[in-house]
Amino acid sequence: MIKISDLQKVYRTEEVETVALNHLSFEVKEGEFVSVMGPSGCGKSTLLNILGLLDDPDGGSFIFNGTEVAHFNERKRADLRKRNIGFVFQSFNLIDELTVFENVELPLIYLGVKGPERKQRVETVLDKMQIMHRRNHYPQQLSGGQQQRVAVARAVVNNPKLILADEPTGNLDSSNGNEVMQLLTDLNEQGTTIIMVTHSEHDSRYSHRIIRMLDGQTVTENILV
Amino acid sequence: MLRNYLKIAIRNMAKHKVISFINLFGLTVGITCCLLILTYIIHEVSYDKYNSKADRVYRVTRSFNNKEGIVSLHLGAVAPPFGPLLRNEFPDIEKVTRIFPVGTVPMRYEEKIFNEKDVYFGDDNLFSIFDVNLEKGNPHTALSDPYSVILTEDLAKKYFGGEDPVNKVIRLNNQFNFKVTGIFKPFPDAAHLHPRMMLSFATLKDTAIYGERKLQTNWGNNAFFTYLLLPPNYPVKNIETRFPAFLDKYMGNPGDTKPSSWTKLFLQRLTDIHLTSHLDEEIEENGDIKRVYIFSAIALFILLIACINYMNLSTARSALRAKEIGIRKTSGAQRSEIIVQFLSESVLITAIATILAIGLTWLTLPLLNAVTGLDLTIKALLTLKVIIPLLLTPFVIGILSGIYPALFMSSFQPVKVLKGLFKAGSGSISFRKVLVVAQFAISIILIICTAIVFQQLHYMQEKSLGFDKSRIVTIGYDDASLGKTFESFRNELRNSAYIKEVGRSSRIPSGRLLDENGASTESGDSLRPVSADIKYVVADYDFVPTYGVHVLAGRNFSRAYGTDTTSFMLNAAATRALGLQHPEQAVGRNFKYGDVKGKIVGVLDDFHFESMHQQIVPLALVMAPAGTPGFGFNFISVKIAGNNVSGGLAHLENTWKRYLPQIPFEYSFLDERFEQLYQSEQRQGTLFTSFSAIAIFIACLGLLGLSAFAISQRIKEIGIRKVLGASVSSIVTLLSKDFLKLVAIAAVIAFPIAWYVMHHWLMDFAYRISIQWWIFIVAGILASAVALITIGLQAVRAAMSPPVKSLRTE
Repeated sequence: MIKISDLQKVYRTEEVETVALNHLSFEVKEGEFVSVMGPSGCGKSTLLNILGLLDDPDGGSFIFNGTEVAHFNERKRADLRKRNIGFVFQSFNLIDELTVFENVELPLIYLGVKGPERKQRVETVLDKMQIMHRRNHYPQQLSGGQQQRVAVARAVVNNPKLILADEPTGNLDSSNGNEVMQLLTDLNEQGTTIIMVTHSEHDSRYSHRIIRMLDGQTVTENILV
Repeated sequence: MLRNYLKIAIRNMAKHKVISFINLFGLTVGITCCLLILTYIIHEVSYDKYNSKADRVYRVTRSFNNKEGIVSLHLGAVAPPFGPLLRNEFPDIEKVTRIFPVGTVPMRYEEKIFNEKDVYFGDDNLFSIFDVNLEKGNPHTALSDPYSVILTEDLAKKYFGGEDPVNKVIRLNNQFNFKVTGIFKPFPDAAHLHPRMMLSFATLKDTAIYGERKLQTNWGNNAFFTYLLLPPNYPVKNIETRFPAFLDKYMGNPGDTKPSSWTKLFLQRLTDIHLTSHLDEEIEENGDIKRVYIFSAIALFILLIACINYMNLSTARSALRAKEIGIRKTSGAQRSEIIVQFLSESVLITAIATILAIGLTWLTLPLLNAVTGLDLTIKALLTLKVIIPLLLTPFVIGILSGIYPALFMSSFQPVKVLKGLFKAGSGSISFRKVLVVAQFAISIILIICTAIVFQQLHYMQEKSLGFDKSRIVTIGYDDASLGKTFESFRNELRNSAYIKEVGRSSRIPSGRLLDENGASTESGDSLRPVSADIKYVVADYDFVPTYGVHVLAGRNFSRAYGTDTTSFMLNAAATRALGLQHPEQAVGRNFKYGDVKGKIVGVLDDFHFESMHQQIVPLALVMAPAGTPGFGFNFISVKIAGNNVSGGLAHLENTWKRYLPQIPFEYSFLDERFEQLYQSEQRQGTLFTSFSAIAIFIACLGLLGLSAFAISQRIKEIGIRKVLGASVSSIVTLLSKDFLKLVAIAAVIAFPIAWYVMHHWLMDFAYRISIQWWIFIVAGILASAVALITIGLQAVRAAMSPPVKSLRTE
């Protein structure tokens, strides 16, 4: 599903040049659950952003579903993104002015899904995440765990093939964290590919494979399953 | 999709109430000002358009050149023979009609006597050029017979009460009886003339009133407003180019010079009269296209300031929206969709502002009417030409003020904003500074202009006229009505201790000096014509003492000298026009004015006969034997002695009623007449101040929002500085400094623009103030002070709050 080879990304400021990705290559097959780990600044987040088509690489190849997307323009990237990829962030990133229902609805709006179908799909996913009773609340009125469940609901509402999770439990206590990890595992079992960046060894054990990174390169790959 | 946008927009507005209020208030007031000024402009440009033939009607005007070939006089009216001759000479002219103002005249019905102001003689075909709405009478015949009169309904009520006015007889000036043949609806407000009583033109053929021959030959009486009806889309140049030949053909060659070499005729479109015609003789005071431009500019300025507020506050707050934009982008939003979202927000807020503005316009229109003296109604806005643009307003203004924030915010990189790498609105800071500078530059320009307008107004009203205008009562009258009884009338008045002097003249100060006749001055043993224009006023022995004009050389006219019955006094400007170095040289010289020959007995110091708009022109006071044609009196001026003005007036009225029982006693104070001259400037000044204040207020609101935001962004910095020992004052200085710098830059930009604009405005006044540098400094300080107060209050609050609180905001 994903094949990156020789991927490079360099951040330049006036005086300093930071190599975030240094000729990185790996592959992720459809249905896999992969964790990416490594110390701060090793390039995990950069990698995730490139995989999520939020950022473009300086060099190398990125094949997504058999298509070379490394040189896609913003328009094409946004299009590919909204059809195939869901995001879960450490800090939830819900829109404060929208209710739970409206937050989850957002990707469907940009996909052009019609109102009644939208309603039905959002309700289904809220049900699945067990936050249906909170549908008319605003994010500030929810606990961290609930907020992250909303974020996961939003990430999956358009049935993406790939979910990118950036430290999804980083802001949660352990019981809420486990709940979220269970959600992701369930999704993976239903066929969704998941790539997760994490610092937590505990969380990484939910995945099939761990890629460890250092200074923009992979150092080891552990296959857990 | 759109619903989602609007939902976010409304919730955002509710969440940030202060900023929403500033935006909404600014835009509402801005649009209201535009609507108010639009009603005014619609009114001003609608003049005479009620006339169904407005685009085909032209007025004939006439100019006169002085001996150097420069136009010295341009009148909106022409001599009586021109009308019929033009009709004969140019077959393309479909119709010609003439209107001859009578001036103020006493009218009587039975025991009721009133002075009527808006009385005109009108040709019998008046109705075929002007859309006069005749409520009673036959439009084809109402003005056909001599001694016919038509009047407005309110006048008919005044004279005849509830009785049927038709066929009633009213008496003009206690001499001539006119039969009422019709009642007409008053002309609309937006007309350049408002007759309330029209006498039939045929009456003028009577020699007792004017005379048929004079109507055909009097080329000098340019008081007949003459209107032509031309075919649709007629090229008027066809006629105008043939005017010189026309003049030479019919006016003859008096003095061996072709008339076309010293006089010209012009055509003026009916609908252009109100805004663009400022000739030396107009039927009524006209408006001014410049005023329309000035107020349009101010309205646009205010709207611009409001739009800038929106742009500034939206981009300043962009950091708060950054996360939302990031999420939307990761959820698959295209940049164009984000742009549409932010534009729909600005369109929404402008739409609300527009609706509020319509209500506010309706509420404040009476205020504008009170200041302008106009009778504007909101109905003027209820035309498709206004409603369609008004419906588009939210889109135009919304997109104008929203496009920059939309473009700016939609460019955010989701990676950065979601990772918290985004720095609050940093990229847009320099652009925001430019906008703040623009707002303050506009405000400072308006402050300076307002100050200079008022200085000039004050100057005009307070500058010495060269005589004492206080406690002078003026009365228009008909010389013939007092005739020889004047001397006893005068003596009786002067017997009272309340009355100091009584003088007669053909014109009085505050009026125009338009009358001119050829002057000749002593040259060796003979008289040679003077090349310069010298205007004249007929004056009696007591005119100069009544007004207290200073005599520079020689003496005043005096009853003690028998030869003074034909004699002259000149003003200093006239002696200079004669080429004399010293006023004394003029005294005792032989002088001839028109057909009056005599000696110059004295020279007056230059005094302001006309308004400050006009230069002091060479002037001759002429003393001519009673009955000399063209040298009669039209006004009596009475100087009240001491402070008992009411006692003086009472005595004047009693005496008047005994001598002139048939003429209503109507007077005016000279100082009030002078004030009237500056009334339109006074109104303009008031409007200017009001709109400037609004502009500055909205700019300050914007600054308030912006500085509040800027300070909130620096809360942590303030906390750290305080922990390290910064004082409150140093923090206030730190926070205010940036904004004050912007005000200073604004001032530097504003000064030359304001100077340039006001320099041109002052050019309209012959007597004007010089622009003083300190006005600029004061305006700069004022703007800085306002800005400092706006920012300072918040800065102090921020600096006073305990640092722990500000550090905890992370």
